[in-house]
Amino acid sequence: MDPNKPDNPDTYPALGRLLTWVDRPGSLKKIIYGLYVLCATLFAADFFYHKHTYLRVEDIPGFYALYGFFMCAALVVCAKGMRIFLKRPEDYYAPKDVESEPFPEDQLDRVDYDA
Amino acid sequence: MLEQIPTAFYFFVAAAILPFLPRGTARSLALVVVPVFAGWMVWNLPMGVLVQAEMFGFTLDLMRVDKLSRIFGLIFCLAAFLGNLYAWHVRDTVQQVAALLYAGSAIGAVFAGDLITLFFYWEGTAIASVFLIWARGTTGAYHTGMRYLIIQVGSGVILLAGLILFYVETGSIAFDKMTLGSPGTWLIFLSFGIKCAFPLLHNWLQDSYPAATVTGTVILSAFTTKLAVYALARGFAGTEILIYIGAIMTLFPIFFAVIENDLRRVLAYSLNNQLGFMVVGIGIGTEMALNGTAAHAFAHILYKALLFMSMGAVLLRTGTAKGSELGGLYRTMPLTMIFCVVGAASISAFPLFSGFVTKSLILSASTHEGHYIVWAILLFASAGVFHHSGIKIPYFAFFAHDSGLRPKEAPWNMLLAMGLTAVLCIAIGAFPAPLYALLPYEVDYVPYTTTHVVTQLQLLFFSALAFTVLMRTGIYPPELKSVNLDTDWTYRRFFPMILGHISSAVSANRSRFAAWQKRRYNQLISKLYHSYGPEGPISQVWPTGSMVLWIAIVLGITLIVNYLS
Repeated sequence: MDPNKPDNPDTYPALGRLLTWVDRPGSLKKIIYGLYVLCATLFAADFFYHKHTYLRVEDIPGFYALYGFFMCAALVVCAKGMRIFLKRPEDYYAPKDVESEPFPEDQLDRVDYDA
Repeated sequence: MLEQIPTAFYFFVAAAILPFLPRGTARSLALVVVPVFAGWMVWNLPMGVLVQAEMFGFTLDLMRVDKLSRIFGLIFCLAAFLGNLYAWHVRDTVQQVAALLYAGSAIGAVFAGDLITLFFYWEGTAIASVFLIWARGTTGAYHTGMRYLIIQVGSGVILLAGLILFYVETGSIAFDKMTLGSPGTWLIFLSFGIKCAFPLLHNWLQDSYPAATVTGTVILSAFTTKLAVYALARGFAGTEILIYIGAIMTLFPIFFAVIENDLRRVLAYSLNNQLGFMVVGIGIGTEMALNGTAAHAFAHILYKALLFMSMGAVLLRTGTAKGSELGGLYRTMPLTMIFCVVGAASISAFPLFSGFVTKSLILSASTHEGHYIVWAILLFASAGVFHHSGIKIPYFAFFAHDSGLRPKEAPWNMLLAMGLTAVLCIAIGAFPAPLYALLPYEVDYVPYTTTHVVTQLQLLFFSALAFTVLMRTGIYPPELKSVNLDTDWTYRRFFPMILGHISSAVSANRSRFAAWQKRRYNQLISKLYHSYGPEGPISQVWPTGSMVLWIAIVLGITLIVNYLS
């Protein structure tokens, strides 16, 4: 990919052009607020239907929501902590590992979208 | 007539003929037609043991068709078709032949009714598949392939040892339900466990799959591990230890997946995690749980292939599949992005996607049988898999920060393969009845209840919320160019290091001992020389005096001895 080539969004594939909406200023905020509203609605939904449960813990309102949120947060924090012990440079196992090698160019088909 | 031909042989015959076909469309066409034909044959096969052969006094069951082996046979044919369609553009004979032999061996193993046949096909999958890694053609791929081959062939050798002990003990080579206890069954169990990537035996998977070629990884992802799942379901259904092994399997890979940079390796970790669900189902062993395992394996092969395909397309077009190098590709690869999101939604078990109607069978079975802690672990793992496969993969490849890469959309054959797989993922999720009808037992389960849909959406969207919050607060670990140590460190670094220490200690001691010996000899010689050499004191008084004295002493001693005796 040539970095000096002018990047013209008008020439992207139609679908890609449509999707550039997500990069427009303010869009991110809309997506995030949409997610907040969706989450609040789903949490509230627990009070409006008969939950068919097997376990007592499932009867806690919003159990699945809270479990998902806190366990995922814990997952990421723990994984981040693991990096302290487990992270190594990319060429740690080199040359007996593919991680630090470039992918063989003859098996690739690099083409620019407007080529 | 055609029923008398084991399904695997179609693939082997095609593999033998393939090199003589002209490179290009004819060959690619053969590669996609053979699995379709084989799948059609499997679909129409009657139940029962259809083909037997005599060898060394053993009766080998080459085609045992029942509902369990049929569903795995079908999905393997389907996976071979999709994988070969995805690889339509490949012109490398080695990869094409390897893909056919590999798929054929896996299908042969699934229909094997005895342990000897199973062993042959088991080794067949190991040997055929390694060429998909070596085909990358780099030094790293060569070494990775060797590690993979040693472990896979090792699994086969353990299977052989187990089957010999099992035969000596029971007099039977039938591949049916076994009970853990004797050394033979334990060895067979261990052999299956290696191929199934049990915890601590798992790392061959994450090591080798990202090292294969663009198309090789897609084909690898379907067969080996699911063959092991089938073998466990056939041989060890209801073995309680599998519940705990499976639960651990769902759990630990998700931590590694969060911090892994190579997105194809992230997928290998989540593959491992999904196998855990199937293993739990086998361990529970009820009809519902085994249905869940078979259904989940079926759905899993499709969405996992789809995810590997989308990352393969990215690799093909950009030369890398690393999160740290990618981002913003949705602009020019929107279709690949959408297919990736379908795969992500399926693995995350969103309603209307395939994972939703298959994984829940296993989770429900775990609550029905009272395994509450296991259920809680599986629920956590479900949220976790959404976190890294569902969000991380599409987000870091196609969105996140703009990498500036503007690659062209994937080639038509890749788009077609991804499109078909995506349609299948949604079709299974939206209309589960045809899949349920293929399962080994009667299905008494309704996936689409208000409770199930709402609770699942809560779990997933609040996981997404957690991701958003962690991203916004900057807590989420960034993608870094790095590798993470896993159990492979033990045999790639630790054991070689220990061996190195031992050998250098031994050789240092040896040379020190040799030097000490040499010094002692030199000292001895120089002492002797000092005393007896031409300049030595002894030789100076050498001739008469001392001689007479010594003779006198000896005679004197003789005299005394004579007197006393």
